[in-house]
Amino acid sequence: MAKTILAVDDSASIRQMVAFTLKGAGYEVIQAVDGEDALEKANKHTVNLVLTDINMPRMDGLKLLELLRKLSNYKTVPILMLTTESGDDIKAKGRAAGATGWLVKPFDPKRLLEVIAKVIG
Amino acid sequence: MTEMQSSNNKIDNQCTGEVLSEDLEGVDGALCNVEADEYFLNIKGELNQVDRLVSDAVNNLVINFRYISKLTQTHHEMVTTIERMAIPDGNKPILELLDKQMEIAEKIEQELEMAITSLQFGDLVTQLLAHTAHQVEMLNMELQRIDREDNWRNGKAALHTIHEGISKAVNIAKTRSKRKPVVQQGMQMGDVELF
Repeated sequence: MAKTILAVDDSASIRQMVAFTLKGAGYEVIQAVDGEDALEKANKHTVNLVLTDINMPRMDGLKLLELLRKLSNYKTVPILMLTTESGDDIKAKGRAAGATGWLVKPFDPKRLLEVIAKVIG
Repeated sequence: MTEMQSSNNKIDNQCTGEVLSEDLEGVDGALCNVEADEYFLNIKGELNQVDRLVSDAVNNLVINFRYISKLTQTHHEMVTTIERMAIPDGNKPILELLDKQMEIAEKIEQELEMAITSLQFGDLVTQLLAHTAHQVEMLNMELQRIDREDNWRNGKAALHTIHEGISKAVNIAKTRSKRKPVVQQGMQMGDVELF
């Protein structure tokens, strides 16, 4: 059975590029436009991995990460941050909030798939 | 002359030499303030225009990308089907031609993968534009605040006081600006780190 990935980004083009890459590798992809949308979808579906941007309207990726980690069924689900941000301070915040890894945009499709395969097997 | 240049000239005429050496009181001061506001609004408008153009271009490129990708997939399936049909007859020239077709299809797929990285430029540009617009807005707000201060309005400000005021405004605008969200200088793949 295909694993499901929740892809969160306010940029439609990034969502499409992520979905194209992941679907091509056989994953099911659920898309969300910001943290609030993602939280709603995370509660409705069984998700094997969350891939989220940080700078988004309404709810950013760090807040989403923090709220997801409070949910019992998302305590161990890998959460990867996919962002333009690469500062050490913000990375440290992400790490402290429970992020599994940090990918700086632009992403390379092959590398993204390698990282995902590594964290969800 | 562009709208932005025209606006620049108006501000030059009203806010530099003449006004500073003669009178900062009353109507001239108010006009300068309005012109500055218009100038900053103009910059924001142009940044929005760039954002719309980039978004439009990215949308079109993504549509093209998906279409080419779909065509490549269909082509791949056709080649596989023809190959299956040709194998029983052992038609060597056709099989060789199909091998070449497969090579081309694989190269197109590789190019499409590379395009995925490049097509992310729209997101980076949009974030940088939003950041710049925010900085411009902060600077405008601070300059407007200084303009409202009493000594400025009463025409008592000497040139150095005005310079100090502008310098202060820039510094405050800098501290109120959010951190720059994009530091990338090119479209090479970003770093990956697993915690």
